[in-house]
Amino acid sequence: MKRRKFLETLGASAAGVAAFSCSDREEAARLAGQGVSDADLTWSKAPCRYCGTGCGVEVGVKDGMVRAVRGDVKSPVNRGLLCVKGYHLPGMLYGEDRLQYPMLREGGGWKRISWDEALDLVASKYQEALDQHGPESVAIYGSGQWTVFDGYAATKWFRGGLRSNNVEPNARLCMASAVTGFMTQFQSDEPMGCYEDFEEGDDFVMWGNNMAEMHPVLFSRILANKRQNPGVRIIDIATRRTPTTDYADMYVEMVPGSDLALANGILHLLLRNGKVDSAFVRENVVFKRGIEDLDRIGYGSWGEDGLGLDPSDGPAERYGFRDQGRNSSMRELERFLRDYTPERVSEICGVPVQQIYQLAELYGDRSRGTVSLWCMGVNQHTRGTWMNNLITDLHLLTGKISRPGANPFSLTGQPSACGTVREVGTLAHRLPADMVVMNAEHRAKAEEIWGVPPGTIPPRPGYHTMDMFRAFMRGDVRVMWTQTTNPWVSIPNLNRIQREPGDGKFLVVSDIYPTPSTEVADLVLPSAAWVEREGVFGNSERRTQHWHKAVDPPGEATEDAWQIMEVAKRMGMEHLFPWPDDDWHEPMYEEYRSFTLGLGKDVASYQQLKDTRGLLWPVVDGVETRYRYAAGHDPYVQKDRGVHFYKAKGYGEKAAFWLRPWHPPAESPDEEYPYWLCTGRVLEHWHTGSMTRRVRQLHQAVTEGYVELNRADAQRLSVTSGQMVRVVSRRGSLELPAKVDGRGKPPQGSVFIPFFDESRLPNLLTLDAMDNISKEPDFKKCAVRIERV
Amino acid sequence: MRSPHRARLTRGAAAAAGLALLAGCGGDTVPVPDQDGAVKSATHVRAERRAYDGAPPTIPHESFGARCAACHNARGQSVSGVGFAPASPHDDTERAGGTTRCRQCHVFVTTGGQFVASEYEPLEQDLRYGGRATPGAPPTMPHRTLMRENCVACHDGPGAREEVRTTHPERWRCRQCHVPVTERETFGSELGEGLTEGGR
Repeated sequence: MKRRKFLETLGASAAGVAAFSCSDREEAARLAGQGVSDADLTWSKAPCRYCGTGCGVEVGVKDGMVRAVRGDVKSPVNRGLLCVKGYHLPGMLYGEDRLQYPMLREGGGWKRISWDEALDLVASKYQEALDQHGPESVAIYGSGQWTVFDGYAATKWFRGGLRSNNVEPNARLCMASAVTGFMTQFQSDEPMGCYEDFEEGDDFVMWGNNMAEMHPVLFSRILANKRQNPGVRIIDIATRRTPTTDYADMYVEMVPGSDLALANGILHLLLRNGKVDSAFVRENVVFKRGIEDLDRIGYGSWGEDGLGLDPSDGPAERYGFRDQGRNSSMRELERFLRDYTPERVSEICGVPVQQIYQLAELYGDRSRGTVSLWCMGVNQHTRGTWMNNLITDLHLLTGKISRPGANPFSLTGQPSACGTVREVGTLAHRLPADMVVMNAEHRAKAEEIWGVPPGTIPPRPGYHTMDMFRAFMRGDVRVMWTQTTNPWVSIPNLNRIQREPGDGKFLVVSDIYPTPSTEVADLVLPSAAWVEREGVFGNSERRTQHWHKAVDPPGEATEDAWQIMEVAKRMGMEHLFPWPDDDWHEPMYEEYRSFTLGLGKDVASYQQLKDTRGLLWPVVDGVETRYRYAAGHDPYVQKDRGVHFYKAKGYGEKAAFWLRPWHPPAESPDEEYPYWLCTGRVLEHWHTGSMTRRVRQLHQAVTEGYVELNRADAQRLSVTSGQMVRVVSRRGSLELPAKVDGRGKPPQGSVFIPFFDESRLPNLLTLDAMDNISKEPDFKKCAVRIERV
Repeated sequence: MRSPHRARLTRGAAAAAGLALLAGCGGDTVPVPDQDGAVKSATHVRAERRAYDGAPPTIPHESFGARCAACHNARGQSVSGVGFAPASPHDDTERAGGTTRCRQCHVFVTTGGQFVASEYEPLEQDLRYGGRATPGAPPTMPHRTLMRENCVACHDGPGAREEVRTTHPERWRCRQCHVPVTERETFGSELGEGLTEGGR
């Protein structure tokens, strides 16, 4: 039976209002005559704009403005709940300094130009660089906030049009180590579990993961589980106390960078105590070992040009490091783990032996479902791939994988880090659906779907993020375009990429607000944000979510994907985007989807996305998959198989257990720089703060950057909370107020700085060392000293 | 009988009707002085603490360094020198203390001012709803009940503003008589084609 929308009349409610006071009646009269009320709003669904959780929100619109949001009770992700950022989404769109028109740098200022002029200019700059310097001299740098459309348009234009693999996302700084982790173990990216693990699990082990602030709604699901099942335990393994610690049953404080030793220590005890699930391992696991020699691997390109760094770390050969895997065995693992006795691990990690035993007991207890959770602490790590491997190893060895409530679960920080970066493939070496440019068959498949001649896609990966910005500074990249990201805040060791426009190169920045990145741009393009356009995001649990455009963007702002397609068309590449101007979203998505079908990566149809609150891929016959590789859940697994890692063709369709040793961090405190520096986020602000700082409630809650100090350290330095201090590293220095006993409490000898404040950039201090497999830099560990100002 | 068919309210009509609400208002305003001594309506105070109607309120006091649930407990409690800390309106307040993360949604106001001024015009509270069908009928709820399951947190006790304080807290089961208005629509049957007066 159909219901029709009819408004209640005022007559019916007047009597109700009469129950209020006269002052409220005045208020009611005022509101009845003006203002916007609930009944006038049109509501539509969208995923939240911020983190990788992908909460469903309902967006309330009136007169072309988003007036309110509410948690979407129909969304299986958040079931009506949001965090403070999500509840305050509307304000994000309406900062009075929204970029509205294409602006070209001219003389000392900016000149407004038309879209035609702007797009012609971008096209001509790209063409000029291509003609004079070749396809490696152009680049595009997007993010995990690119919609599927933006990312797909970028990768197709670059690889299929410009014959360049220089397409990269800021997600390189965020979850590249998770990608290499999953790829090395399952030959297919992304987790096997889903958010239902948070209700099904018994023990939640957070590895360097302040989930209460960074994935608050998911943390709420764990807390709700704990409330109903008091036996549920939260284990917080961290380098400082955070709001997550307040809810933890066990807090394991470790020395920064010692997590690999801790994981190996747990593996050691699992073997020693006979806690290996031998039947599972025999059936489903192969053992692998890679290059472990510290001298051969190094720490990325640190020191390559001696910019105030240790030049002895050596340049080129380490920079081109490629891991080489060889077969290993359980017997070799036993020998390998002999070094990781609880006593030695305790010494490296600063973790009491007792806690190592407790962790081994927890992982080894077959009666309990264990979920390991991690995000930036593990990924932004000079051995991030290895640490991803070791966490999954714990689950492989105990058979706690691909089961409801027992999984290694990698969380993502951006709304479409999974959907766009990892699934569409916007990393320099990737193509859609787990394919890579190095593989001839993969290139051929992409060329066929894109209708471009064989040999169009170059076989060599493009510049990864760290390399791309250095190449831009060197002049090897002549033209670069950034979208939905703010690299001049978020790249580590910003000192290396200081730029003055007019250096002969050309930088285009598409954004919605002025940022430090627009300050160094030659051309600024205004973008449509969030529900000002149609979009698709993919969240941490493989859920693809669609939203309709709900309001018009301000001024002449346009979609990022549209900007890319228009430039491509001006370069004679109309054939890449052959769809009608007013109806290209669905055909573009369906073309992308054709990459995924039949591979266990199958994303839902566009129509199904519109009709639902998103679906978890693989979606086969319209049915989503909650647990990958699991019989009874994953349609690619035969019913009697139990678990089947069918994507890992190179390992005989088994998962790879990697033996990975502990290596010390690239830089550790010494006499001159005696403190560890860790950087990160706070609940109220998202990433570089360009959106959340424009929301009054969020700005007023956390106004400016600060440095968290331990109370004892503060006393020794004679510094009190609020007092300005100078934090100095080998790269740079920064003045900011001290915070003692705030929400985060670092141990003695450690400090923490959030990175949302564009006027206090901790990335002037951080080290651009990286994981040499994933090329993801380490924002969590470097050495600083503190001075009173 | 009320017809299910109703015309959309126009702005002008609403304004006129709104003015009619004021009839009878004289000197009987209920004063609600805030911390600065200014007299504001409950509606005004409520709006000040929210980005829009439905947003979680900001925290109207400074941090005392205590767990929220220490004061905002199952029944609420009086805090010396500060005022009455009401119970949480969220479900399960009693057991939730140790496993609820209040500050996921509620933040302190640590400063005035803005980073950049905003052109955002929010949804405001709509007092046209929550009315009674007839005099003496129980009023419907003018807000959603999600996260507001514990009615007495706001509608009873010293923390309840006078304007919205229940006259009958002893009845306990509020939702036996008061129902939320989840959809602003009325029932329209597909049946009875040609059967009812006036036809369709």
